[in-house]
Amino acid sequence: MRKSPVTESPAGTSPAGTSPAGAGPAANPVTSGTNPVAGPVISPVTGPGAPEPATATPVFSVEGLWKVFGPKSDRVPGSDLAELPAAELRERTGCTAAVRDVSFDVRKGEVFVVMGLSGSGKSTLVRCLTRLIEPTSGTVAIDGEDILSMDRSRLRELRRHRAAMVFQHFGLLPHRTVVDNVAYGLEIQGMGRAERRAKAAEVVTKVGLEGMEDRKPGQLSGGQQQRVGLARALAVDPEVLLFDEPFSALDPLIRRDMQEEVIRLHREEGRTMIFITHDLNEALRLGDRIALMRDGRIVQLGTPEEIVGAPADDYVRDFVRDVPREQVLTVRSAMRPPSGGEAESGPALAPGATVSEAIEAVARTGGPVRVVDAGRCLGVVDHEGLLSVVAGVPVGKAAA
Amino acid sequence: MTAAVTAPARPRTPVAARRYWPVAAALVLAALGLLLAGRGSWPAALSVDLSGPLGSASDWIVDNRDSHPLFLYFFGHVSNAVVLSVRGVYLVLLAAGWAGVTAAAGLVAWRLAGVRLAVTAVAAFAVCGLLGMWVPTMQTLALMVVAVAASVALGAVLGLAAGLSDRTYRALRPVLDTMQVLPAFAYLLPVVLVFGIGVPAAVLATVVYAAPPMARLTALGLRSADPGVLEAAASLGATGRQRLLTARIPLARKELLLGVNQSIMMALSMAVIASVIGAGGLGDRVYQALASVDVGAALAAGIPIVLLAVVLDRTATGARSRGGSGRAWTGCAAAVVAAALTGRLTGGLTWPEAWHVDIAEPVNRAVDWMTAHLYSGVPLIGGTADWAAHFTGWVLDPVRDGLQALPWWALLMAVGALALVVGTWRTALTAVGAMAAIGVLGVWDASLDTLSQVLAAVAVTLVLGFGIAVGAARSTRLERLLRPVLDVFQTMPQFVYLIPVVALFGVGRAPAVAAAVVYALPAVVRITTQGLRGVDPVALESARSLGATGWQQLRQVQFPLARPALLLAVNQAVVLVLAVVIIGGLVGGGALGYDVVFGLAQGDLATGLVAGAAIVCLGLMLDRVTQPTAEKEA
Amino acid sequence: MRMRTRTAAGAAGTLALLILTGCGAADMTRQASPYAAARGTKTVTLSVQSWVGAQANVAVAKYLLEHELGYRVDTVQVDEVPAWDALSQGRVDALLEDWGHPEQEQRYVAGKKTIARGGDLGVTGHIGWFVPTYFAKAHPDVTDWKNLNKYADELRTAESGGKGQLLDGSPSYVTNDKALVENLGLDYKVVFAGSEAAQITQIKQFAKERKPFLTYWYKPQWLFEKVPMTEVKLPAYKEGCDADPEKVACAYPHTPLQKFLNADFARDGGKAAAFLKNFRWTTEAQNEVALMIAEQKLTPEAAAGKWVAANEPTWRKWMP
Repeated sequence: MRKSPVTESPAGTSPAGTSPAGAGPAANPVTSGTNPVAGPVISPVTGPGAPEPATATPVFSVEGLWKVFGPKSDRVPGSDLAELPAAELRERTGCTAAVRDVSFDVRKGEVFVVMGLSGSGKSTLVRCLTRLIEPTSGTVAIDGEDILSMDRSRLRELRRHRAAMVFQHFGLLPHRTVVDNVAYGLEIQGMGRAERRAKAAEVVTKVGLEGMEDRKPGQLSGGQQQRVGLARALAVDPEVLLFDEPFSALDPLIRRDMQEEVIRLHREEGRTMIFITHDLNEALRLGDRIALMRDGRIVQLGTPEEIVGAPADDYVRDFVRDVPREQVLTVRSAMRPPSGGEAESGPALAPGATVSEAIEAVARTGGPVRVVDAGRCLGVVDHEGLLSVVAGVPVGKAAA
Repeated sequence: MTAAVTAPARPRTPVAARRYWPVAAALVLAALGLLLAGRGSWPAALSVDLSGPLGSASDWIVDNRDSHPLFLYFFGHVSNAVVLSVRGVYLVLLAAGWAGVTAAAGLVAWRLAGVRLAVTAVAAFAVCGLLGMWVPTMQTLALMVVAVAASVALGAVLGLAAGLSDRTYRALRPVLDTMQVLPAFAYLLPVVLVFGIGVPAAVLATVVYAAPPMARLTALGLRSADPGVLEAAASLGATGRQRLLTARIPLARKELLLGVNQSIMMALSMAVIASVIGAGGLGDRVYQALASVDVGAALAAGIPIVLLAVVLDRTATGARSRGGSGRAWTGCAAAVVAAALTGRLTGGLTWPEAWHVDIAEPVNRAVDWMTAHLYSGVPLIGGTADWAAHFTGWVLDPVRDGLQALPWWALLMAVGALALVVGTWRTALTAVGAMAAIGVLGVWDASLDTLSQVLAAVAVTLVLGFGIAVGAARSTRLERLLRPVLDVFQTMPQFVYLIPVVALFGVGRAPAVAAAVVYALPAVVRITTQGLRGVDPVALESARSLGATGWQQLRQVQFPLARPALLLAVNQAVVLVLAVVIIGGLVGGGALGYDVVFGLAQGDLATGLVAGAAIVCLGLMLDRVTQPTAEKEA
Repeated sequence: MRMRTRTAAGAAGTLALLILTGCGAADMTRQASPYAAARGTKTVTLSVQSWVGAQANVAVAKYLLEHELGYRVDTVQVDEVPAWDALSQGRVDALLEDWGHPEQEQRYVAGKKTIARGGDLGVTGHIGWFVPTYFAKAHPDVTDWKNLNKYADELRTAESGGKGQLLDGSPSYVTNDKALVENLGLDYKVVFAGSEAAQITQIKQFAKERKPFLTYWYKPQWLFEKVPMTEVKLPAYKEGCDADPEKVACAYPHTPLQKFLNADFARDGGKAAAFLKNFRWTTEAQNEVALMIAEQKLTPEAAAGKWVAANEPTWRKWMP
């Protein structure tokens, strides 16, 4: 359950992350983001080396987005009907609200995960971003430019160059070879055959499919097919990559490989990604921030640590119950202020280290361990603090 | 114990009641009606006599054909264009000579479907030459090439429109559905009237007949394209045109090729029928042989048709899985030109006469022997003549008389009820409407006569077909053995087996039924075998593990699970049997089939067209009654 | 997008129409068969009817035209009434054996003047009801229609139900049989074989079994040589007794069979037209050729060749 560069390296030796993962204060548009009731999570988790200040224009900015399917769907948002539960709404209007009043920003360079069970509206949401599904109301902007008011050619421009998508069922053309599939987006842009094939061959190598250029999709395994899908999206060099449950159809082991692949790509290129999944582990593993959806609404938006450590409501709590907390939460959540000479000596951990790493360190030394950031001691963790995190009770109470 | 027995039965009762109440209601109403009003046939007051207007329409066309602008500026050009293209293709084929044509056929088959088919193709053309049918074969081929090209083009355009626009699809579907049950003969009369006898009329009738399957399959292919792929294309910013050209059409490749395949087969079957209106070629030879009651000669002209059908069908099927690179095709073209030149230089453009083989005589002798020994006096089982007599007396007569004795409104109600059981109220409305139209057209009794023959033929086809299919599904060897036989029966022009059928069963309705059974059986066997084969092996295994006997497995597992295939087989049997009703008219089937032939022979538009329309109505009605709608199935 | 496609389609359609109509009128009657020989060759197109007698006429005419006059002959297989239509349109040049179609004659010969008479074929046709001679010998009184009801039982088949069977043939043939049965008060049912092939096959099958049968048939016909048949006398034919098809109660007439030519061909057809006008042979001669085709299964061409070789004096007279 390790995520992103910060926890990727062994405790204390971690170099500053190459990515802004886990960065930035929770400038959450969703108010339910952090719930202080759940525990004394240290909210402003300022990650090391966040490259962009939080004030920069978000890549995607979604505000009050609605998507209602059904007859006369545009009367639903903003009316009394908007508050009705799904069953009643369908009974009264024949409409289904797939996305209800969703707002969030996606920052440059981050992996933004939208997670929810099937039917929660997450796939509809991601399609609304490039208007593969036309939203009912609300605003969607990319780099500050309103997408909903784009004309057809501008919208095509957006799809061709700025946002590319990877699909759950790959969406490959069965009659074309791997390299022609990868070059498909470039072909649509109008690039010449030789040029686009050369470029596609490069990307094919990048996703680890060299030697299979001339095969047809039908001759590939599911994982390989999805690599082709990924390569096709990468080939157009988009600003944002959109993933719609890309690995759900794959076997668990291959899924893991592919997740590693995405992490690697993200580390190497720092591309902004929006990732849809129904798999909590995948979300925690990949996401810098996670938006948890239920019945079309975002019920909580925050870092994996916030979601696991401070579930916004019982639904989320239920959801994250089985997550091994010690592998997601960092030592910050188990810290207490140093007392006596603790701050001066003893083994040290980086603040991004997981609780499980801290447990290992504490077990080895037998005493409290310091949390050190850039030579400054932020606090210490000890048996009690770590145990209470694992048990899911507030740190203070366990200590008392 | 009682509870256990009744409990599962109870929830079913309302379902059964809902399903069968129309039948019950119809029965009650029929009994009431019989008490109150008894008359059987359709009342004359409710029918419309079309012979006047149709007669004057036909007179008008004949009188204005060589002067009215519509003919001069439209039909005339269409007709000339057809003649020009057929002539062009024919001259190319003749110029290529038999060496060139055979080489071309072999190479195309090789590129598209592999070596085995290439050998078959070469052998097929050689046989056409050996039988002395080279020139007629080329004439038929030329006509076919033009007709198929036009059908495919027209079908593709219609299919494209229907595939891309829901509104066009909804408008076009009933038309295509209707055309599918329209017998080929029915097309001939109007086109002959407009274009006169000859090749243009034949080509146009063929196009009208062969384009609908292409249109249907194109629309189907475009509509069933994987939405995921289309979405992916959209997500990459493809324009509508790009999406159509790079994704939709390539994805529909399989259906498109199947459509071409179907068009070819339909066109071939029409090629023979069109000989009745002077299309020339192989069909003409078959038809001529028929006049001198020469089965052997008819077969000699029929075999090339079967061979063409088999080769074209297999090549098109092969093309579905393969393609070819440009360079290889250039090579093939070069080889063909070389072969053609060699043929020219060595002096043989048409097949050398010294190489002809006469099969007519031995075939005739064999047929004579067969009919002499089977016709009558076979110990124990009686001869075929006795069977025919018994079949007529015990099956056809009672069914026909029964149908004709039924009051017309009771029959309408029965049809409606049946359609409600298998379909929706919409189905019922179509079926009843079609039946009522028959009455209005004034051919009620003749139609019921035809209906009785169709029902009998369908019943025989299904009994035989299911029996054979059960055998074929069990034994791969039997299936392999059956395959060529089925191919031959399905593609052999029906004119060829008219004489043997009459020789065996005499003149009348029995041979008409026999001809229909021969024609419809292959499709039923094929569909049923496939359905039975496709049954989930796990279900069969579990039945076997419970100790089910072979019969129990068949009855309790295979038949229920293969139900969709069986229903399709029934539907196909009905459609195919109807398609040869007119052929039945040629051997004494009488009724509507005879009327259509009569209309064609006597240039009597009113009789022919009305009978043709009645066949269509019967077809619509039977098709609806045997085609469970999707909603009900679900 | 959709608008654009529609406009494009409309434009294409208009363009196609313009191309079609732009070249001016196209007269379908000036059209040759696509299989015809190259232009410049002298070609004659003959229509062939489905019965063997007609095939014999055409075979001999074709043989002589090709071998003696150097024409190329195409044949078109077509029934009589459509053949009239084709003749009028110029799709075929000649119809060599017509059994009498007053309505068509009125329309095309007298009215539109697109068809010209070609004179007698020299063969007299006669339609009638026939029983096999073996049956007539056993029951001599069957040859009078008045006694037919007596034999209705013996002539019953499965197809005719409770009545006797009168076997009729191809729908293209001239027949009054339904009206005759009705008007003569006969206990018979007309069963249409639907084609001559079916009718002949059935007759042969009956003859093989030496079963009795009653059939519509016509002379000259080669089948008489194989299955001897005796005519049943119907009420005598009088001029005009068959005027109203509903009320016919008399026998069929003896018809001198006629030839008809396309009017243009008759005028400009040169030697071929002259030859076809002169073509005139006998019932026996036609039967001889027909029998070779139908019974010896010779090709029409071979049969014609054989006849031509043996009867030079006869055909020499036809040469222009």
